[in-house]
Amino acid sequence: MELMDKLKILADAAKYDVACTSSGNDRAAKQGEVGNAVACGICHSFSADGRCISLLKILLTNKCVFDCQYCGNRRSADIPRAEFTPQEVAELTLRFYQRNYIEGLFLSSAVIRSPDYTMELLISAMRTVREEYHFNGYIHVKTIPGADPALIRQAGSLADRLSVNIELPSQASLEAFAPEKKKDDIIAPMRLVREGIIAHKNELAIYRHAKNEPSFAPAGQSTQLIVGASPESDSKIVTLAEGLYGKFKLKRVFYSAYIPVGADPRLPTTEPPLLREHRLYQADWLLRFYGYTAGELFKNEDENLSLEMDPKCHWAVQNLHLFPVEVNTADYMELLRVPGIGQVSARKIIAARRIEKITFEGLKKMRVVLKRAKYFITCCGKTYEKIPLLPEAIAPRLKDSSQIAGFTQLTI
Amino acid sequence: MNESVTFDGSFEGFLCVVYAVYYEKLAPLVIQIAGQEQLTLCDTPPVDIKTDDSRASRVYNAICEKIARDAGQRVYYAFLADDEGRLLAILQYIKLGFLVGGAVDSHLHEDFVARVHRLAKYVWREAHLLHGFCRFESVLLNSGNAEKPSESEVLYAPVTPKNDVLVLLAQHFCERLKHRAWVIHDKSRNKAAVYDGHTYTIVTVPAGEANIVHTSDEAQTRELWTAFFNAIAISERKNPRLQRQMLPLYFRGNMTEFR
Repeated sequence: MELMDKLKILADAAKYDVACTSSGNDRAAKQGEVGNAVACGICHSFSADGRCISLLKILLTNKCVFDCQYCGNRRSADIPRAEFTPQEVAELTLRFYQRNYIEGLFLSSAVIRSPDYTMELLISAMRTVREEYHFNGYIHVKTIPGADPALIRQAGSLADRLSVNIELPSQASLEAFAPEKKKDDIIAPMRLVREGIIAHKNELAIYRHAKNEPSFAPAGQSTQLIVGASPESDSKIVTLAEGLYGKFKLKRVFYSAYIPVGADPRLPTTEPPLLREHRLYQADWLLRFYGYTAGELFKNEDENLSLEMDPKCHWAVQNLHLFPVEVNTADYMELLRVPGIGQVSARKIIAARRIEKITFEGLKKMRVVLKRAKYFITCCGKTYEKIPLLPEAIAPRLKDSSQIAGFTQLTI
Repeated sequence: MNESVTFDGSFEGFLCVVYAVYYEKLAPLVIQIAGQEQLTLCDTPPVDIKTDDSRASRVYNAICEKIARDAGQRVYYAFLADDEGRLLAILQYIKLGFLVGGAVDSHLHEDFVARVHRLAKYVWREAHLLHGFCRFESVLLNSGNAEKPSESEVLYAPVTPKNDVLVLLAQHFCERLKHRAWVIHDKSRNKAAVYDGHTYTIVTVPAGEANIVHTSDEAQTRELWTAFFNAIAISERKNPRLQRQMLPLYFRGNMTEFR
């Protein structure tokens, strides 16, 4: 098979994996090696679906022995199959990298023969890229559920980021749709990676020479959850994500709206729930950067996030007794809770009010967006418009109709 | 009291204007690049400020020490912006900075402070995007020696940025492509950063299309990349509006996958 055909098949097979970030690690260029890594991450292109392309995202092979119903590469699916050699992976990576098409390699695989065998193939491909082709750029590798801990440790010493996909957010759904996968097989490598990262940090603290030891997944680990294939509610998904950030110190949890590729009659065949996915990412941001807890977002026994307005607005409308916030006196965390004010705006407000009292005019000059914030703040005791602080007055004004229109297909 | 000054257009030259403001008591209302002056309402002829590297570095160090550690970089980035009135705004920013120190960055109600911040961010952002969006092509460089013809492989990247970010790109690729020879060509300003594997130099390039000979694997690599680019998109999620928001059209002219 031609390299071109393999690339088409194995990139197509990898496209449902969301994680394509190249962030989290700074590594300087080395003598005799190609490339470096920068912590902020760099996007190299954006595909027709608007998603970032940062890494050469491919499967090593899509020949799978598993039969997970939600997955397009399952054993029973009738699709063309292919397999890369380690040399081909390295060739592609290096040729793309030096032309600045990519930031590095994202290598995943279907389960060929057994989890251990697959993991060994992934490691040997990474070794070829790193040791024979001297590639010093970013590598993100999937660990295969059920693979031997020793193999996962080896993978961690070669890659910047490791990840294992949970895919379905509950044990029951896994049993129903992915009979060969067990929850423990997924959680165990996560724990192992977490422990490996901690162990490496401790070694660095104790022995200075450990700096020359191979690092262990310096950019941390991430995972992916499929949304809409199985019946779990948003509340369950967000709570799970909160646990993963807390317990396993994951860098990212990715959410992927289920696209109907399965044949199982229990799976939905409707349009992918893109707006729901968007709301989950917004809630995810609130967990990671705004100090919210999952419990706060689902206080009133709502099982799902509102589709009409973003979760921060929704929370604010439910908690109007905490508003309005006076921008000249509120502390940073209070400002962060105002819809429309993010970290950048909150920092600007705190810096500027040291010099003089902030007015709405001043906020506009600083380019703080007032579209949503204006209902929830006062400047020197003044409100922006005479709109009473009541749910029935504010909620209709916060519904983002444009957002919803962008997600539904227009029909003629 | 002179109202109009000119300088050579370099960042060092601009720092010397700042020097002159303090040591020669100039209070310019118009700062222009020598040779590109426009008609102004000033009645006196412009004073030309000579560039002096030691003066420039004294001013730069003073900015970093007396205003804030990152103020020097902020001023430099804002200077690179494609913005008519940036020079006076930067000058005002520096003057206020020498007066109040690091607190200058809190004076966001002052238009010139907000402007310097905005421009510096704008430049940083374009440079950051181009770190990802600029594309190298592998070309053959002829030694030009008729008796001993030899060819060497060079990576060549054409760019057309809005701001003058060539140096920022060169710094990034000195690390990224440390052991390769490369050229980044700013087509909108007719200059290029040329890197020989050790250091880069900025040279001026005559306008017009160069005759480029690609290496033998260039065409195939482009086809592979374009095929990957098309295969990785999920057709059920097609969203050109989002794509345009993340990757504005003006970058695409130089990008392999959009040709």
